[in-house]
Amino acid sequence: MSEDNNKPESTKFETFTQEEYMVMKDDLLRPMEKIGLAGKVWITFLIMVCLAGVYAYYIQETKSKYVTVSLRDYTMWGVYISNFVFFVALSLVGVLMSAILKMTHFEWYRPLSRIAEVIAVAAIMLAGVSIVAAMGRPDRLYFLVTHGRIQSPIVWDIMVIMTYLATSIILLFLPLIPSLSTCKNHMKHLPKWQLKMYEILSFGWEGTEEQWKILKKTIKILTILVIPLGISIHTVTAWLFASTLRAEWDSTNFGAYFVSGAFLLGVAAMIIAIFVFRKVYKLEKYLTDMHFDKLGQVLVLMGFIYAYFNINEYLVPAYKMSGLHQHHLLNLFTGEEAPFYWSVMFFGIALPCILPLFRKMRKPLPLTIIAICVFIAGWFKRYLIVIPGLLHPYLPIQDVPESWKHYTPSLIEMTIVAATFAAMLLIITLFSRYFPIISVWEVAEGKLEGKEEIINYK
Amino acid sequence: MLLLTTLTSFAQDKEATITLSFAKADSVNVCKALVTSEGVPVKEVSVSLFVKRMFSQLPIGEAVATDSTGVASFEVPQDLPSQNGKLTIFAKIVDDENYKNTEASGIVNWGTIIVSDNSKVDERSIFAGRNKAPIFFIIVSLLSLFLVWGTLIYAVLQVFKIKRLSSANN
Repeated sequence: MSEDNNKPESTKFETFTQEEYMVMKDDLLRPMEKIGLAGKVWITFLIMVCLAGVYAYYIQETKSKYVTVSLRDYTMWGVYISNFVFFVALSLVGVLMSAILKMTHFEWYRPLSRIAEVIAVAAIMLAGVSIVAAMGRPDRLYFLVTHGRIQSPIVWDIMVIMTYLATSIILLFLPLIPSLSTCKNHMKHLPKWQLKMYEILSFGWEGTEEQWKILKKTIKILTILVIPLGISIHTVTAWLFASTLRAEWDSTNFGAYFVSGAFLLGVAAMIIAIFVFRKVYKLEKYLTDMHFDKLGQVLVLMGFIYAYFNINEYLVPAYKMSGLHQHHLLNLFTGEEAPFYWSVMFFGIALPCILPLFRKMRKPLPLTIIAICVFIAGWFKRYLIVIPGLLHPYLPIQDVPESWKHYTPSLIEMTIVAATFAAMLLIITLFSRYFPIISVWEVAEGKLEGKEEIINYK
Repeated sequence: MLLLTTLTSFAQDKEATITLSFAKADSVNVCKALVTSEGVPVKEVSVSLFVKRMFSQLPIGEAVATDSTGVASFEVPQDLPSQNGKLTIFAKIVDDENYKNTEASGIVNWGTIIVSDNSKVDERSIFAGRNKAPIFFIIVSLLSLFLVWGTLIYAVLQVFKIKRLSSANN
């Protein structure tokens, strides 16, 4: 489809078409008009949790870390690091939902892409916060730049995270330009500062043919760039573990294992996000049953791929049951962690593989419940990857204080983890209140190109 | 009965002493162990030779029985690693029918001196410091960074081009 087919004669409207403008006025700009009571309560709650986290961090830094945090000699990585891995995994939703679906011409991505990009940007920011919270000497953070070795996986991780954050912000912002112009022109009753913000951020957008050409080309280049970038970000995070010699992490499988888990988590997060948005902002016409149906099928696909990598990761060492792995694996399969391990496997992998195979389960509410299970199990799965192995070192644990032999996250740690989640939700909520959460011109473009199925799925 | 066994056991085990002497014969290191009991050289007693290592003792050769003059002769290898060349050599009588367990030791300068090979310390390697990273790492990482960030900067410049194309600027 050439660019010209998308441009009917009456493109005096800066965003797209007359139809889009009518649509936007009614549905998609309504959430931005004002924040209702429920919205205010929600935002206040999130801010409270974030402040609790900041206070908890203050306590952590001023009191002895031995008292405030459960990290000890063996479990020197705890929930902060598993939380970090979780957020990096979550940030791959931008790659999957926005970039991969777009490049493979699955047209139903159109209403989803901006939601995906916001989640990606918010998640990757909070991943960085989670890491800094885990540092014993955060005042030495800049050493990573001044003293960092290029041979270190940690330095690679920082480089890739910074790059992915920048790319995701640009990819969030570029398709927003046309929408901002419309917001500026057609929502005159908004506060002046908001209109001024739209004016600055829309960069003089007028919807001329030249501008469209530049915008679309740039979006395409960045969309292609973000796919290998996103996959490499989670691969490098996986290498933080796989480049060590610990028995439970010394696996060639880790890169693909983490990336496939990230895709599964991203689909689950997407399902929850569109369920919430369609309910709260009354966007049922755009985030339709068809999207849930398709996302349910993607959930099954990603579930099977993740199950495959899990089988490789656990069955192969279990078959050999070498001395190095024995204690750790038996602990997971039949020992102390067994109920935990098997529930995570069931809710995190078995459920998304099997239940959405049935059409009834791909309706919005059942699918969202399944997605919530996958999301929560995903967080605990990353806990299982990071922590139990640390408690089974090569030399048996002997003659150490009791608190070193077990790990339970302290209240401070859990508060900070909760605050990272609250901060992510706060960023997403605030974004959706001040910017249109659905990229209307992309939806309208799809409609114009005759891709009826994106809206009128039966 | 008890008295009889006690008397017999005492009668069984006699005291023995070992005296070590070290000599070099025809470029071969020879250690001689002289076993005496009550001043009299003892023959046909099995003596074993050991060299002290970090956590235990390394046996050298087979156990040798003393000859008619009460001397057991051992050849000590020349390639035993040591600290500063010093080896501590033990000679032991263990589980002999007639004599109690005895040992004697001596220090001799027969060990080899280990010199660490530090020739590769300044080389570029994956475990070296920040300034000695492998060239390949530096090139690939900088190249990838420049390519990706170059694309991002290009995207930002394109946004400014959009602004330049707006009618306010034309």
